[in-house]
Amino acid sequence: MRWFLSFLFLSFLAVVHALSSTGNRLLVILEDETEKSLYSTFWSDLEGRGYTLSFESPKSEQLSLFQHGARAYDHLLVFPPKSKGFGPSLTPKAVLDFMNKEGNVLLALSGKSSTPSAISSLLIELDLHLSSDRSAFVVDHFNYDTVSASEKHDVLVVPRPGPLRPDTKAYFSGEGVLAMPRAVPQTLGSDSPLVAPVLRAPVTAYSYNPKDDSGSMEEVYATGSQLALVSTMQSRNSARFTVLGSVESLEDKWFSATVKTPSDEEQTQTVNREFAKQLTAWTFKETGVLKVGKIEHYLAEDPADLNPQIYRIKNDIVFNMEVSEYEYDGYVPFELPSEDALQLEFSMLSPFHRLALQPTRKTDNSTVYSAAFTTPDQHGIFSFRVDYKRPFLTNVEEKHEVTVRHFAHDEYPRSWEISGGWVWIAGLWAVIGGFIAFVLVWLYSEPPSAKTKKTQ
Amino acid sequence: MHLSSALQLCLLASALPAHAATSWGFSDATVSVQTKGAGVGAGLKEQIDSSKPLANPVSLGDADTLKLTLTAEEGNTAKRPHQAFLLLKDGSGLDISFPLSVKDNGKARLELTQKDLPLQFLAASEPIDANLVIGSFGSAGAYNGPAFQLAVERNADEPLPSSTAERYGQLPEIHHIFRSDARSPPVVITLAFVAMALASLPVLAGLWLFLGANLNHLPAAFKTAPIPHAVFVGALVALEGIFFLYYTSWNLFQMLPPALAVGAVAFVSGSRALSEVQGRRLAGLR
Repeated sequence: MRWFLSFLFLSFLAVVHALSSTGNRLLVILEDETEKSLYSTFWSDLEGRGYTLSFESPKSEQLSLFQHGARAYDHLLVFPPKSKGFGPSLTPKAVLDFMNKEGNVLLALSGKSSTPSAISSLLIELDLHLSSDRSAFVVDHFNYDTVSASEKHDVLVVPRPGPLRPDTKAYFSGEGVLAMPRAVPQTLGSDSPLVAPVLRAPVTAYSYNPKDDSGSMEEVYATGSQLALVSTMQSRNSARFTVLGSVESLEDKWFSATVKTPSDEEQTQTVNREFAKQLTAWTFKETGVLKVGKIEHYLAEDPADLNPQIYRIKNDIVFNMEVSEYEYDGYVPFELPSEDALQLEFSMLSPFHRLALQPTRKTDNSTVYSAAFTTPDQHGIFSFRVDYKRPFLTNVEEKHEVTVRHFAHDEYPRSWEISGGWVWIAGLWAVIGGFIAFVLVWLYSEPPSAKTKKTQ
Repeated sequence: MHLSSALQLCLLASALPAHAATSWGFSDATVSVQTKGAGVGAGLKEQIDSSKPLANPVSLGDADTLKLTLTAEEGNTAKRPHQAFLLLKDGSGLDISFPLSVKDNGKARLELTQKDLPLQFLAASEPIDANLVIGSFGSAGAYNGPAFQLAVERNADEPLPSSTAERYGQLPEIHHIFRSDARSPPVVITLAFVAMALASLPVLAGLWLFLGANLNHLPAAFKTAPIPHAVFVGALVALEGIFFLYYTSWNLFQMLPPALAVGAVAFVSGSRALSEVQGRRLAGLR
């Protein structure tokens, strides 16, 4: 009985530790079973966070991302293939279909072998670009690890990234340095707002193909911070795709390596393990997931009547919206980055108002954002819209329609309240008074005098 | 001589820790700017010292070509480095490198025009920092030092192609501009005109009195037909009272029944009262 209880308790614990906000079925595509042991810490970290790992070879016959038309896994982790491609079940189209069904993908690349064209064509679909030279990786003669790559300079030592922009959240930041051995660089298409770099190469870095033996770089693919070592793409349905340039950075060896750059005085411990956690947590939707709770709007003078269908022009309205953010194991109150704003639009065809929602109240797991405003002096079908799309955060799109009507005939001010109308009112009553006086005079007046009548 | 210095270098390299062996640098670096169509040697030409950058920014117009030549050296020996870049950086964190074409003897050159620069640098108001980066594999320390500042001179009349790439972020706030409320003239003026409108009553009364209007037949009329006259005049006044109530508080359905009733009363009593008036006319009193 006791063992049964403890089993129940353990399984409950496992449920509690199922951390991702979307699911815990993780498929790992690993071609070479023998390589599995190189990443044992990484696997145990993922399992410790509640993921159920299934390992498959891309050549496996029964491998399929879908079962009965639905996703068979919640997340996909792809290791670089040894062979030229991934086979029929992992075509770019299959991976995109998986993302269309809100599956998340983490793709690791390696500069040790050349990247197959199937991967480049998948990345091009997402507006992420690899060097046309498919076995290129990043070298930097200033920020390399002198311990392991004193000759080849191909193990980059870079600090953990800060926030991408002042108005974005820093999900990958922290103290310490990362070792990125033989990272395959990516460049990001400039037209898409969906792609965002996570880790950029240092300014002095460049992409280099060891097989190209010209002795000096004369044609460069891209240089410096235009090269991304880790980049992400979040589609409009909030499915996430992350490219990690260096699969070796996930190895046990680099989780606990000590590194030293030429300018460093002493060796430092890498924080690859912590960064791998941040990266997988973001990709598999443990962080940066927003949820909208209750949405309320009401007349400022009548808060009891919630979410009415109709308002009048020039009404004072209050709009409240609850937003929570998933952070590793549960929803917490969402806090805006310092230079960002959660904006409410009150629009009919185009926005009439676009106002920043201010945090007013916090519940246990959400922040209530609110704004108060006056409805425009234009009647019609309006909508409250919150369209909050930011790098690294899932998309929030809310639209709630309300009717805005005219003043009713008895809601206008009465004529005596308008001072300009007093003249007309006074004129009217003067006419009425004159009429009654005329009636009285006509009924009861004696002709002025007989004399005057006679003289006429 | 050459052999012995090489030997010395080797000895030094073996004695010191690996990274401190030698480091990269350059000599004979010149930067020149030539304007298209101007004669040879017309434009600016300056030597760059590896210890300190040029004091004044190098300006690059839209018809100019910037030429950079240098000899890369490892230690003091001219040698071909793997990386010889001109690195341009601006304050916002944007950077781009232009590789110099290097010969085996370390001689490197680069030609740069405004066409090569990214849009953001063309739009920059501040001069851009230009660094020289020289490095290679192995233990020799790489060189990255400021060389000069590049000021991009643009013809202000030519608009830059704008970059319209969409980025998710905060949008400008919009506040609806309301139509202005209806306004009334100053109350003093209104009151003056109200007084004028109301003054018409005393003026009318005065005029009638001047013309001899009076109520002399009132006792006679009430003596002959007291009820019809009282009811008729009362009904007229009551009808105005009903209109007053309709103006202030009643609606149409509250107003119509009493108005009809009072109207009927006025019609019946009015015919009697007017018969009495007719009697007075026939008697020659009016």
